[in-house]
Amino acid sequence: MIKRFTVALVLVLMLTIPGGAFANGEKEIKPLNFALSGNPDTLDPQATSGTLTFQVDKSIFDTLAEPDENGVIVPALAESWDVSEDSLVWTFHLRKGVKFHNGDTLSSADVKATFERIVDEKTASPNKKAFDVIKSISTPDNLTVVFTLDKPYAPFLGSIASGWGAILPKSLIDADHDFGSEPVGTGPYVMTEWVRDSKIVLSKNKDYWMVGYPKIDQINMNIIPESSVQMQGLVSGQLDIVYMVGNDDVPILEKSEDVKLVKGLTSLIMVMAINCSAAPFDNLKVRQALNYAIDKQKVLDTAYAGGKPIGTFMDYGNAYYKDFTNLYPYNPEKAKQLLKEAGVDLSREIKMYLPQNYPPHVKAGEMYQEMLTKVGLNVKIQMVDWSTWISDVYRKSQFDLTVIGHTGKLDPNGTLSGYGKGKYVQWNNDEAASLIEKAAVTMGYEERKALYDKALGIMAREVPFVYTGSSYRIQGFRKNIDGFRMTPNLDTFDFRWTNFK
Amino acid sequence: MTRRSIQNLFFKTAVLFIILLGVTAVTAPLIVPYSPTDQDVSIRFSPPDTTHLMGTDNFGRDLFSRILFGSQSALIVGIVSTSIAVFIGMIIGLWAGLGSKISDSILMLLMDSLLSFPTILLAITVVSFFGYGLVQVMLAIGVIFSPVFARIVRAEALIIKTESFVEASRALGTPVFKRIFIHIIPNLLAKVIVQSTITFALAIVIEASLSYLGLGTQPPTPSWGLMLKDAKDYLIQAPWMAVYPGLVLAFTVFSFNIIGDTLSEKLNPRILKQ
Repeated sequence: MIKRFTVALVLVLMLTIPGGAFANGEKEIKPLNFALSGNPDTLDPQATSGTLTFQVDKSIFDTLAEPDENGVIVPALAESWDVSEDSLVWTFHLRKGVKFHNGDTLSSADVKATFERIVDEKTASPNKKAFDVIKSISTPDNLTVVFTLDKPYAPFLGSIASGWGAILPKSLIDADHDFGSEPVGTGPYVMTEWVRDSKIVLSKNKDYWMVGYPKIDQINMNIIPESSVQMQGLVSGQLDIVYMVGNDDVPILEKSEDVKLVKGLTSLIMVMAINCSAAPFDNLKVRQALNYAIDKQKVLDTAYAGGKPIGTFMDYGNAYYKDFTNLYPYNPEKAKQLLKEAGVDLSREIKMYLPQNYPPHVKAGEMYQEMLTKVGLNVKIQMVDWSTWISDVYRKSQFDLTVIGHTGKLDPNGTLSGYGKGKYVQWNNDEAASLIEKAAVTMGYEERKALYDKALGIMAREVPFVYTGSSYRIQGFRKNIDGFRMTPNLDTFDFRWTNFK
Repeated sequence: MTRRSIQNLFFKTAVLFIILLGVTAVTAPLIVPYSPTDQDVSIRFSPPDTTHLMGTDNFGRDLFSRILFGSQSALIVGIVSTSIAVFIGMIIGLWAGLGSKISDSILMLLMDSLLSFPTILLAITVVSFFGYGLVQVMLAIGVIFSPVFARIVRAEALIIKTESFVEASRALGTPVFKRIFIHIIPNLLAKVIVQSTITFALAIVIEASLSYLGLGTQPPTPSWGLMLKDAKDYLIQAPWMAVYPGLVLAFTVFSFNIIGDTLSEKLNPRILKQ
């Protein structure tokens, strides 16, 4: 009887002792919990232009060069580089002994294969254009890569240092590996798990080439589109970083003692894009009317976290920004008058497509819709999911109006290239297009600035968009988080320096 | 108070509430104090008071006016999708019940396979196939609930067609369609009406769920589900944004269910006799 009782007691005790008590020998892993605002459509850095992808890929891949905290382009996988006198030959000297996550050692062949893959038609990369200027790539030795260009091309280094310049291993490229769902790079973190629409788990790359970095062992990127859920997670401690806090949540977060907020201007270009190919928006007067009808500051303050209005297609903090905000100030009466002059059929239904995974854009869209209704237009909102937005709205231009934020680029050519020759807004203007093309092959800040000033002036007057502004970003952190960086102009996350205090 | 009198009180309250809702939906444009879509960001998140009975939302729109207008979409969805379900269900049910054995088996197999899908999942599938919007949602709900009606109509038709008065009418040479309309349909209406009230409530809930997911009614058209979706971002700052649409939605569905329950007892001769 007693024996049986003892056995029962032992069993009960075994059940009640927490599982962790047995695992004392191992070092406990403390993950950083991060909120990602949506599920990336792919993790192949060459297959998309979606920011979410690069926000994750920044931790998995490296580029030859990268922007530092101040936006200056510094060495990364390449220790140094030389440019020939005529700006046509770029020689990169690779870092020695860098390991890919699959064990391969980085060599010049990987770099060559990577850039051959992105310009290959089969890859169908939306960023192919950025590298089309490459005439040939040669590899004189294991650690040297030489790019020969067709023409002098100022944005080349910026493209190399952007997310789509990520270096992939040749062995996997040759094996036709699916980088979209199983990314393999040289980056500070290895992707160990991706539960679609739920989370992406990144584990520290112990062989990372920056000795002593990254600091944190594991990062859980929780996919949480709702800002209220993000905010509550931050307050309760389930999340350590929310990289974009909604304006309306600030008063609540300020009350929490465990949370600190940091506010700064983003390099985002918030717009309402106009499809210029079809009536009535092929008429400049109608596009001007749209610009007069929108109270941009009000939208920035209500839908986004406040911000600075811009009058053209360049982010406010950019060195190439030029102020055109006085061209079309908020003036609904003028908008009505222009619509009348243009003879627009006001009853015609105008479809505004909103990406429903971005609540700020949806809220901005609802405000645009109301303001446009007030000047007499018949605007109907249609929500679409992110993949539909990318495939139908952005790639096929199937929309009348849509709302989106364009992320900044390291080089103004990245922002402007292609405009004037269609792009998703279907806006054609030979003068603007040739100015943008000319600026790309012109060297020197002053010379390029003069060309971009003119091009931006045309875009400001011709308004293929309603340029709303560059928004502020309020980042929320738990008090014990230190060293979180965002890559200037690219809007990606850099966790290498992040640590718990 | 007896159980019966309590039930009667509930029934009367529910009917009154639905009538009120119907009147509100029809007269909404005349009685709302503010436009349901006019934004005024200077008064965002005003708590309920005498100027804004139920407060304002994140764009400074008057919630009371939006809820009144929301009854329009709720009732339209209820009426249209229930009608579609009854129409399809009636045709298929009668065909199966009165037609040949083979058509009966095939039709019922089809209906049963439709029934086996979870309702919301099927609705989401249909809507993502045909695009987001109110019309698609109503069609989806209508089709999804038609098997329930088909089953009821078939079962009743099988019983009624063997009743002696139908046999007699057939013996007298009454044409088939006349027999269906004069003898069969009127006798199975009671059950269809009861089921309709329940379907009505379910349709409103599904529309709200789909709108909450962003697949149904598109903004800025006021819909209770959509209002709940907006509210979830501001639960702490502005709880009234969620509370009032939620309450109205709950009351509406509750009322329809009470009406359905009571009617099923009142219209069922078998229960009345007890």
